[in-house]
Amino acid sequence: MENKYNLRSPAVKRLMKEAAELRDPTEHYHAQPLEDNLFEWHFSVRGPPDSDFDGGVYHGRIILPPEYPMKPPSIILLTPNGRFEVGKKICLSISGHHPETWQPSWSIRTALIAIIGFMPTKGEGAIGSLDYTPEERRTLAKKRSLEFCCETCGCTMHSALLALSHNSNTSPQDHKAKELAQQINFKAESSSSRQPVENGSEDRTSTLTQADNSTSAGQKSSFVSQAGEAQMPPATVVEEPQIHTATSSTCPLSPRQRHTQQHTQHAQHDQRDGPEPTVSIVALTPTPQQPQDRSHAGSAVLIVVLTLALATLIFRRIYLAHEFDYDL
Amino acid sequence: MRSHRRRKQIATAKMAEEQKESSQGEMEGVNCLAYDEAIIAQQDRIQQEIANSNPLVSDRQDLSVLQREYAEDDTVYQLKIKDLYKKYSYIRKTRPDGNCFYRAFGFAHLESLLDDSKELQKFKAVAAKSKLDLVNEGFTEFTIEDFHNTFMDLIELCEKQPSLQELLNSFNDQNVSDYVVVYLRLLTSGYLQREHVFFQHFIEGGRSVKEFCQQEVEPMSKESDHIHIIALAQALNVSILVEYMDRGEGGTVNHHVFPEGGDPRIFLLYRPGHYDILYK
Repeated sequence: MENKYNLRSPAVKRLMKEAAELRDPTEHYHAQPLEDNLFEWHFSVRGPPDSDFDGGVYHGRIILPPEYPMKPPSIILLTPNGRFEVGKKICLSISGHHPETWQPSWSIRTALIAIIGFMPTKGEGAIGSLDYTPEERRTLAKKRSLEFCCETCGCTMHSALLALSHNSNTSPQDHKAKELAQQINFKAESSSSRQPVENGSEDRTSTLTQADNSTSAGQKSSFVSQAGEAQMPPATVVEEPQIHTATSSTCPLSPRQRHTQQHTQHAQHDQRDGPEPTVSIVALTPTPQQPQDRSHAGSAVLIVVLTLALATLIFRRIYLAHEFDYDL
Repeated sequence: MRSHRRRKQIATAKMAEEQKESSQGEMEGVNCLAYDEAIIAQQDRIQQEIANSNPLVSDRQDLSVLQREYAEDDTVYQLKIKDLYKKYSYIRKTRPDGNCFYRAFGFAHLESLLDDSKELQKFKAVAAKSKLDLVNEGFTEFTIEDFHNTFMDLIELCEKQPSLQELLNSFNDQNVSDYVVVYLRLLTSGYLQREHVFFQHFIEGGRSVKEFCQQEVEPMSKESDHIHIIALAQALNVSILVEYMDRGEGGTVNHHVFPEGGDPRIFLLYRPGHYDILYK
């Protein structure tokens, strides 16, 4: 690897150092660059104890910008977890009230600890966030997450981290993770700016996220093409290691389906309330049929009402025309 | 016949309605995605424009360039510039990117040490020790090391008595220059946290000193206020004089020395939101 990169580049210098620092797995996290790309890393983190993610180990990618560490890394989770959408870039950049708080003295380790600390926090309807039920999350954590095996870096979650020793449950690590999570906010790439949401959440984040054009362009097209076929299994992403994770059968709604659903509701919401970009909180129930039916019923009622109104107008028109005729 | 036509009309209307609905849905989705990108692209464009028209640190210019920046009938500023003339002759501008205080300070201080090797050695000792202080305060060594090394490299460059142009080139190399800014920010943050009992009184919004540092000091592009200047001046034991030029009445420019009672070697010009370097 040493020959391939310009060692005078600050990012390369720094990443080499971080790779050495994080070489050995710890009980809570492990991350290493891909063999052929210093700017893409794969990581595994242990779900925080005393949460629904207890017992789970989660895998993902970290993309480093060329300006790293002056610009923050982006993180993509690959293991279904019920908190973050799988395969979607979440940017580690903005804290609720104070934007742009990435600090160059933070590192990949900081990002990993922050992810751990951030898992038990609420998704609150932000795009890229999921609010699965605690049961679903526990199932994903205990049963499914450990079966995950990454095709790209070839590591399995069973053996990715050091075994947990008993006295480490309330380590300073956890404390730090929580502290960091309060400070950092994870944002989905290209999420819309949103107003305070209905449950009175105080999160008024302006969402200026780091854009990676290629990925978001891909997302755009996939959204459009999938909009009409939300019931299809989302096996359309090629070359991405998350394919086999997304098609899981125990996971009732795939992230992409939920995404589509969110947008459907989103559009409806806007029709009623005007063109301001709002994201409504979607009740994510475990059965995929229900919300779809509900949204269809809503549009059907709307169509019927509008049709009737139109019909009344037409009739009135015809009636008036005839009256006119008679007068002549 | 009539009912047939009606049904047809209704069907057409229905279709149009549906079409409108679905296209609106799609538009909205695309707009959401495009919205942030548009903002980011615009911010990048603005940043780029600023970068193209302002070097990180400019050449030394005659103070008269200031006069031309303001309208001739802008009496408040024209009077104050005349007042500045009594004490200063030249100005060196920095890029208005939110890091201007640190860059102006860094450059002006090293420039002033170019021909004062005794002071330079003193400063080098302070700077060399500063990393250890930060590590002892809980900063991660391997993440702050690169910034510290870059800073020390520049000081060592000054030891070799380079031409002014060489120093200027280093400060206009984005990588080097930004790393120096990061390190000065870290020093500021470190000092504020070390003296948190004192500084807590000056922090607004019910934040702790640590939170303040993480939100207003360490992230790049966060502008500096009195509190930052005091902290950095004391952290490095350097005295800084700032001339304040704003729309206030009075016709004279007020100045302030950080820390109070010091014998300043660095003179900065503050105009709301921005710092440049002044020379006698």
